[in-house]
Amino acid sequence: MLTGLFFVVCTLVLSGFLIQSAAARAADGAKKSVGAVVTMQLDLNALMNSGKGGTPANGLSPGLIGPNGDLHIDLVDRICESPVVVQCNYTTQGGAAPSSDIKLYQPPGAQSGGVDFFQGDGVRDLNAVQDFRNGDSKLIAGTGIGPDSPADGVVIEKRLADANHLKVGAEVHFKIGELDPSLDHTKEFPYTVVGIYSSDKASATGQNVPAMLDPGNQLYFTAAGASTLLGKTGDGVVNQATFTLADPADLGRLKADAAAAGADLSIFPLSINDKEYQTLVGPITKTAGFATVTVWLVSIGGTVILGLIVAFSLRERRKEMGVLLSMGEKKPRLLGQHLVEVFACAVLAIAGATAISTVLSRAVGNHMLAGEVSSAENAPKDNTPDHSSTFGASASGAGSGSDTPTVTPISKLDVHVSSSDIARIGAAGLGIAAAATLIPGIAVLRLNPREILTKGD
Amino acid sequence: MTAATTATTDEKAAKTPVLQLAGVSHSYTSGGRKRMILKNVSQSFQSGRMYAVVGPSGSGKTTLLALASGLDTPVAGKVRFRGDDVAEIGLGRYRNRHVATVFQNLNLLNYMTAVQNVVSAMEITGARGGRKKQRAEQILTRLGVEPVDQHRRTLQLSGGQQQRVAIARALACEVDVLFADEPTGSLDQDTASEIVSVFQALAHEEGKCVIVVTHSREVAAAADEVLRLRAGALVRG
Repeated sequence: MLTGLFFVVCTLVLSGFLIQSAAARAADGAKKSVGAVVTMQLDLNALMNSGKGGTPANGLSPGLIGPNGDLHIDLVDRICESPVVVQCNYTTQGGAAPSSDIKLYQPPGAQSGGVDFFQGDGVRDLNAVQDFRNGDSKLIAGTGIGPDSPADGVVIEKRLADANHLKVGAEVHFKIGELDPSLDHTKEFPYTVVGIYSSDKASATGQNVPAMLDPGNQLYFTAAGASTLLGKTGDGVVNQATFTLADPADLGRLKADAAAAGADLSIFPLSINDKEYQTLVGPITKTAGFATVTVWLVSIGGTVILGLIVAFSLRERRKEMGVLLSMGEKKPRLLGQHLVEVFACAVLAIAGATAISTVLSRAVGNHMLAGEVSSAENAPKDNTPDHSSTFGASASGAGSGSDTPTVTPISKLDVHVSSSDIARIGAAGLGIAAAATLIPGIAVLRLNPREILTKGD
Repeated sequence: MTAATTATTDEKAAKTPVLQLAGVSHSYTSGGRKRMILKNVSQSFQSGRMYAVVGPSGSGKTTLLALASGLDTPVAGKVRFRGDDVAEIGLGRYRNRHVATVFQNLNLLNYMTAVQNVVSAMEITGARGGRKKQRAEQILTRLGVEPVDQHRRTLQLSGGQQQRVAIARALACEVDVLFADEPTGSLDQDTASEIVSVFQALAHEEGKCVIVVTHSREVAAAADEVLRLRAGALVRG
């Protein structure tokens, strides 16, 4: 009976441990697979409050941000060298004005005329752009934009290439696409088409839709190339930088490294977004939490029930213990003998539990996890503002892409028994055995052999 | 040390009682009233002698045995073993090394065989020498337990055989004083006589001090000395 009850307790506790271990492994795997994206971009309010923004007093036109609002590529590159950063990207959102050798793509029915621009985004790595990550856009010729791409490289959409009869290797010119009147809008800057991509996004058919918003007029430059068309000189500036961390907990280290690299984090704050990670591990974390509660309840309940059984057993064996005491046997040794007997039952039960718990925890864990996943999918979506959007610039453009989770929650538990699991259940099982024996065993220490063995006339 | 001094020491040791009750008193509280069972009992017991303690029911015979055997502690007075206070020796150690008891209800471990009962006693009391199983079989054989019965569970043995196993268990402890509480109470006449003979042999041939609590006139008649408990006092005859 004792072994049977121990078997049930150990099986439930070990199953809980296995679910916890599987959840922990899944969480580690999720961290490695998605990590957490930290965004760095200008906080306009902080800039203005600091007095470093563009004002007539410092020679700038009202409404312009000024050079202190520029996030320089060389600074971002230094931050990218932080050991906690596993992937790094940055974007420059801007525009490019057409020139004599490249015209805007006009979808059928669109009305041409007026001032209009290409949307020209500077990127560090084209593959990290969300449209390319999720397959909405695909490179169909040439190369993309990478950290080692020439500064004058440009990737254009197929519709634009067809409309202008351009192929990879063609040289094209763009003018500055920034409205600042102090800039020279007549100068043409040479670029080389290094790649052509195809977007699944259809062109808008309305007459009043600006050509800039047509997917065919989306250009991708290097960050330096896009900066040139913003009228910036030097190494180039970016609107937003993203740093992917292996572990969300590394944010503090990244902030320290960024400050050491010279970043003013009051103006360019670092905001973490671990929604993908939370989406992946949310249900499994809840399942692990339930498993933890189960482990504790079963452990406590098991200890109480086993304690009662042991107490009953001690009561039944009072005479035997009295006989042994009458021969001078020591009470601690009597208790030790009982402990050894209970341990023997526990060892047998642990062995049995080890054999069956994998199957049980896999079945129960996956069933519970399926329920949690279903609940998570049916739950109302969180509409709280994205922490990474501390500045008006949208993160849904060419940058790291929208931070809206594109992952699905983990829905399968990888359950297997490891030596550490066996060690844990061994420790728990023997701990329960010890508690269940020693607590009622206090009665043994109060035994009086005479009371047990004689009538005491 | 001279030969004369050695002889004097041996004589003194021989005269020193193996067990001594010195002004022992004991009482119980029952129904809110204190009842005195033993009053200032003093008695010496020598090795090589068999004693019978008799008295009416409720006179305190079993209490006397419990105090003398270290199962209980007197409220006053001392129990001395070879001159040393057993409280100082330690009751557990005293029971473990120096005395053994054959209980009225035997208290054998029924899930064990006769041999296992004897061997377990040897293990607990730390009896010297190896080959415990063979020694247990020898003791049981000497006490008249047939070899075929020695390896049966005690519950399957007759009352007389169980009594012999209980005595064998006590003997296996290699002690100086053997207590027995009503050892023949549930036995037929012939078996009782055999058991009494065993006690006599243990006292006279092996030099043990045997103290038997009994109601039986036959057992009392076989003893070297009869002690009577009356109104809490222990008197001879």
